[in-house]
Amino acid sequence: MSESGDLQDWRSDLIRSIGLGVAYYVAAQLSLRLALVGENITPLWPPTGIALVGFLLRGRRLWPGVAIAAFAVNLPISATPVAAAVTAVGNTLAPLAAATLLLRVGFRPQLDRLRDALAIVFLAALGSTLISATIGATTLVVSGAIRQEQFPGAWSVWWAGDAMGILVVAPFLLTLTTIREHPLPRGWKILEAIALLGVLVGISFLSVVTDLPILFVVFPVLGWAAWRFQQPGAAPAALLVSLFATWAAVEGRGLFGGRSLADEMFTLQMFNAAVAFTSFFFAAVVSERLRSRQALEEAAGELEERVRERTTDLSTANERLAEAQALARLGSWEWDVGSGAVYWSLEMYRIHGLRHDDGPITFESAIELAVHDDQVRIQANVARALEERQEVIPDIEYRIVRPDGSTRTLYGKARAIRSTDGSVKRMVGTVQDLTERRELEREQRIAETLQQALLPERLPQLVGISLAARYVPAEEGSAAGGDWYDVIELPDGGVALVIGDVAGHGTEAASVMGQVRMAVRAFSLEGHAPGVVVGRVHDLLRSLYEGEQMVTMFYLVVDPTTWEATMVNAGHPPPLLLDPGGGATYLESPTGLPVGLNWSLPYEESIAVLRPGAALVLFTDGLIDRRDVQVDEGLERLREAAKDNVEMDIDRLCGMLLDALVPADASDDVAILAARLDPVQERLSLHIPADPARLRSVRRNIGRWLSGHGVPKSDAEDIILASSEACANSIEHAYGPGQGAVDIEAEVAGGEVTIVVRDAGRWRSSRNGDRGRGLPLMEACMDTCTLTRGDAGTEVKMQRRVPRSPSA
Amino acid sequence: MSDLASFAVVKADEIVVGSLSGEIDLSNAKELESQIENAVPNTALGMVLDLSELTYLDSSGIRLLLSLAGRLRWRGQDLVLATPPESRCRRVLSLAGIERSVMLETTVDAARARLKDPSA
Repeated sequence: MSESGDLQDWRSDLIRSIGLGVAYYVAAQLSLRLALVGENITPLWPPTGIALVGFLLRGRRLWPGVAIAAFAVNLPISATPVAAAVTAVGNTLAPLAAATLLLRVGFRPQLDRLRDALAIVFLAALGSTLISATIGATTLVVSGAIRQEQFPGAWSVWWAGDAMGILVVAPFLLTLTTIREHPLPRGWKILEAIALLGVLVGISFLSVVTDLPILFVVFPVLGWAAWRFQQPGAAPAALLVSLFATWAAVEGRGLFGGRSLADEMFTLQMFNAAVAFTSFFFAAVVSERLRSRQALEEAAGELEERVRERTTDLSTANERLAEAQALARLGSWEWDVGSGAVYWSLEMYRIHGLRHDDGPITFESAIELAVHDDQVRIQANVARALEERQEVIPDIEYRIVRPDGSTRTLYGKARAIRSTDGSVKRMVGTVQDLTERRELEREQRIAETLQQALLPERLPQLVGISLAARYVPAEEGSAAGGDWYDVIELPDGGVALVIGDVAGHGTEAASVMGQVRMAVRAFSLEGHAPGVVVGRVHDLLRSLYEGEQMVTMFYLVVDPTTWEATMVNAGHPPPLLLDPGGGATYLESPTGLPVGLNWSLPYEESIAVLRPGAALVLFTDGLIDRRDVQVDEGLERLREAAKDNVEMDIDRLCGMLLDALVPADASDDVAILAARLDPVQERLSLHIPADPARLRSVRRNIGRWLSGHGVPKSDAEDIILASSEACANSIEHAYGPGQGAVDIEAEVAGGEVTIVVRDAGRWRSSRNGDRGRGLPLMEACMDTCTLTRGDAGTEVKMQRRVPRSPSA
Repeated sequence: MSDLASFAVVKADEIVVGSLSGEIDLSNAKELESQIENAVPNTALGMVLDLSELTYLDSSGIRLLLSLAGRLRWRGQDLVLATPPESRCRRVLSLAGIERSVMLETTVDAARARLKDPSA
């Protein structure tokens, strides 16, 4: 492949070499007719120009064609074949050297740069041709063709001929090869070209056929050609004029008439040189000017395009900024302290309830919008910044009154910009409208406070049932809801556990929750059955809110004697039962509709028997509801989280479940109430603050404990009365209001119940006759009753024998 | 007002019939006393207090009833308590020996009759 490729290259090189040689030979024969010295020195030697162009465009390897053609030209006119060969070597070397030098300096055949014109004149035309002139003239002398004293003349004519051959012919040929790169003249320009040619030929022809010395008139015409058509016009014109001038010189016409050969020769060379310089330089300079003008225009166009793009970008950015300001409710301003000019962004006007065309804003008019106290604060900040030349101005939250009378809460940030002398020349800043955010926060704070206030302050201390609870408000941004829980000690010794969720959020839901919670308590304490309690709550809510307020709740009463749980479900998730032996299961019961809506059906009770040690976890849907999780899946997740921790301390259990199931950014609030049924203890120990309100709890606890031990009801009631009396005595007599504590200890042993009540206060005798009835009552209720008073306090010890109840 | 006990006027003609329910102890006795006394106008013959719904009563409750009886008597009015036999309240009242100072009947009707004719 590569061999055949090389072969092809070689062949095409051979053909080109022959072509170049033929062209060289033909041109040489034509120009020899113009020989001025002997038969082989002519004033214009185009073959050198042809050889140079051939080497430049097709490569210097075509030299053999030129060498052979030169030999062929010189052989008939030289004294010996050797002389012809030596002359041919000089004729070949000259264009080769010229091509080498031009390629080295980065010559462009378009000739449209000044440096290309300089290069072809000095390096090629005047420089390289020294070689051929010197070799040729020396050969003439050595071979005896001319005499030795003729050498300078012969040398100079030879040199000038070769130089002119390059100067006149090379640009013309180069222009022809690059003609496609130039746009063809059109319209009037064609006429102009024809006119140009006509004038040029006319003048030249006149100067040849007449004796009028008018050849110099061609110069303005050459300038015309170069200016209007650049190299494609100048090169042919120069060639044309040079040919005519040479013809005129040979004929001895015009400028050249009546002179010696040397004068004639000198004049012709000078004329041709002037023609070449004029056309090439002028054309090259014009091209260069045109090109730089084009480059400038392109640059200007590009610049314009970029300015347009930047302008578009800027206006897009401005629109986006305005949109961002509107979204963030954030306005920006600038105040030129010196001139007093104030700039406000559009959003600033909107925030202040003003219109953009309401007239110019001044520092004073802007500040007047703030409420009085805030005006003072803002002015103080600004004054301090101006006086103390501070750049940093403290942020400020302040309120304004809009022209329509509404109040807005704003947050201002500002910065001073100092001039070179340190004084404050401008202030810039932003103002954000926080009104909605602050209102939302306030609303949320109130709702949360209300919610917390409405939940039990603390859970009751119950004997036989441990309790734990958690309430977690929803994450900031979403308002607190109406979740609640409650534990109610019932008159008959049972304990009611309640959990519920008022539909809706915020203060309204929280206040409804408060009402529902109190209603549940009240109906429970009246001693109604669970189904009745929930039914009455439903009726009450329905009448209060006309069926518009929905509440889900789960109500469960534990009987501490039988461990029976009686429950009613009003549209609420079922509680989780943690059985020490049986893992974690949901307490299944018929689910009724939520309370409060417009319908009327009885609430169905169901009963489950629990085992001592079991725990119940009641919760609201915040614990199981996740946006990405179905309800069943949520229930299963809770069961999974609890099932391996059935015996965990219930307070820890509540915390663990919250951590495991509720994300930090929960959107709903969560309530959990957990209760564990403790096995009956032999000894009972209670510690209560000296507060009459706690007596009820003492009675309930002792009651549950006694019934857990199977003490019959009538005996239990007497023991409860005596215990409560003893505590009341301690609270009433031992302490002033709100101080101290009372300890109660109870024990069942050998068919006898022992109750000990202690306080740390001093026994004060009763102040009127009706008092002091407690002790006789205690004595009447118990078998023995001993009162011990000491410095450390008072102790009442009471005992009563009890029969075993049939069930125990 | 504590949710422990409540007082309600059932009927008010020449005799005021009131009902106490819930539990009376040190925490709520004083408050209840003034509430009950205020329910009896000066023009009334006296008061019948129904204790059948009362589930617990301690010495504070006894003091309340004795004090109430004394104040009404000072105004020339009588107090009759209605409490079923064998009830928890009845036992406490007996233990405290209250029969000596305050009239006791088993039903509201008997109490009303007693009030109209104290000698009967």
